[in-house]
Amino acid sequence: MDKAIIVDHLVKNFEVIEKKPGLKGAIDSIVSPKKKIIRALKNISFTIQPGELVGFIGPNGAGKTTTLKILSGLLYPTAGFTSVLGYDPWERKPEFLKKISLVMGQKNQLWWDLPAAETLELNRAIYEIPKKEYEEVVSELVTLLEVGKLLNIQVRRLSLGQRMRLELVAALLHTPKVLYLDEPTIGLDLIAQQKMRDFIYEYNRRHEATILLTSHNMDDLMTLARRVIVIDEGQILFDGALEELVSRFAKEKIIKVSLSREDDVKKIETIGKVKKISFPEVILSVPREAVAVAAAELLQNFPVSDLTIEEIPIEDVIRKVFRGEMRRSLKK
Amino acid sequence: MSIKKYISIFKISFAQEFAYRLNFIMWRVRNVMQILLLFFLWTTVFSDPTRVVFGYNRAKILTYVFGILVVKAVVLSARTVDVAGEISRGDLTNLLLKPINYFKYWLTRDLSSKTLNFTFAAFEMLILFFILKPPIFLQTETILLLGFIASLFLAMLLFFEILMITNFIPFWAPEMGWASQFLVIVIVTEFLSGALFPLDILPLSIQKFLYFTPFPYLIFFPIQVYLGKITGTVLLGGLLIGLFWVFVLWIAMGWIWRRGLLIYRAEGR
Repeated sequence: MDKAIIVDHLVKNFEVIEKKPGLKGAIDSIVSPKKKIIRALKNISFTIQPGELVGFIGPNGAGKTTTLKILSGLLYPTAGFTSVLGYDPWERKPEFLKKISLVMGQKNQLWWDLPAAETLELNRAIYEIPKKEYEEVVSELVTLLEVGKLLNIQVRRLSLGQRMRLELVAALLHTPKVLYLDEPTIGLDLIAQQKMRDFIYEYNRRHEATILLTSHNMDDLMTLARRVIVIDEGQILFDGALEELVSRFAKEKIIKVSLSREDDVKKIETIGKVKKISFPEVILSVPREAVAVAAAELLQNFPVSDLTIEEIPIEDVIRKVFRGEMRRSLKK
Repeated sequence: MSIKKYISIFKISFAQEFAYRLNFIMWRVRNVMQILLLFFLWTTVFSDPTRVVFGYNRAKILTYVFGILVVKAVVLSARTVDVAGEISRGDLTNLLLKPINYFKYWLTRDLSSKTLNFTFAAFEMLILFFILKPPIFLQTETILLLGFIASLFLAMLLFFEILMITNFIPFWAPEMGWASQFLVIVIVTEFLSGALFPLDILPLSIQKFLYFTPFPYLIFFPIQVYLGKITGTVLLGGLLIGLFWVFVLWIAMGWIWRRGLLIYRAEGR
């Protein structure tokens, strides 16, 4: 088996019954339900190599989580083919479930009224982990995530950050070969986010685990994902290296000029969109194909002491992706 | 090896019940109050000790009342009532991701709940017995005691299946969880199973009809077997009908479950 994950022409439709507000709406929805089909995934395909760490990005409701849920065997695909480690996820065979894990930032498996240690013991039995291996894994995870002191405290008394780290211990107890992380840093403070990222990086490296991650956190993607899949409205818009995303989507380049003396700013605006002026520096954004002409013009007509041409920062591109601007810019 | 999983589930479920001690105690108090109510109702009816109504004398009707306490603790106490909420909240996801059998998981949790409830019910009964000093009918025939245990076993499985199927409704109507539960469990089951009054005080035609449904086999049938009012071929026939329903409902439960999963949306909170 050379591919860890294969997704081929995957389609997922949800049928929903529309509900209007109020009592009348509620009665209408029972008496004459108006069914509506939501096309969550429209024919997507990709493959992932073993050990790869891939980031899924896109605005809310793009279909990222739906994809993860299908790959975990939770949702029944409407059409298309999926295979994870050679298994059909939907069959949810025990051997398959023992090799994967899905961690959702807003979903918890820890027993709320009991200390986390109890859930861990339960998972040890459920995943049939030998005692010795279990102890090794727990001590490794507990050290990496710094949760040693929290194991015997009732889960309800823990903070969100503490709980999330313990959730991760519970989810990784069986050392999954494929790990799906849905917004792993949501709601965490900056330090906790950093810890979580370090851990994910370490886990991927140490166990050669295949990791699929969705996040709205720029830093998560920039530090962890070498490859990203941009998905919006159920379609894949881009699949490749993070750096490539910029050259592919950024229609503009950035020119930074330093002026030797103050000059007519109005005149500069004819060359490109002025993004920032703080004398002596002026930042312009210019269409990619016009960048050479614009630079020449600047050098010729303005008192330029320095000039650089740069790509739009990755952050700005990702931000555009989150706002759903990618689709619009592609359609243009 | 696999049994270990379920022993662990049993243990944690037990620990969980104890996390809500007060809740549990209130639930037991409710049960005791119900028993007292029934006890005083029937003692009044049978204030003359020689009186026999619907084939019940004082001792047998009071045994029936105490029987309800024990049989209810064994049959009607179940954790499976949480399934509906689990489905509509999307928490089902956690279990689907694990290499365990969903039905065995809930059967195990039910079993732990039953163990706990039965222990308390036995204890309560002992106390009530010494306070009220009712004339209790003790069954001594081995065959009938075995029949009683067999019918209890069937009753537990039947209730599990009825409850499970009812709790699957939120797959299709997420906000219907509580209403359907109330309708099926509190009204239909309690009423038709004989948990409120012995069913043989109903008109004969209704009784006959009821015997073809699964409901009397939950409470009424086991107690009747214990009281020695159902014996021989009628006992065997009853056990077979009960078994038939266990089988049919098991198939139905599996079928509905698989249909439900097809449209399960694994929604988040």
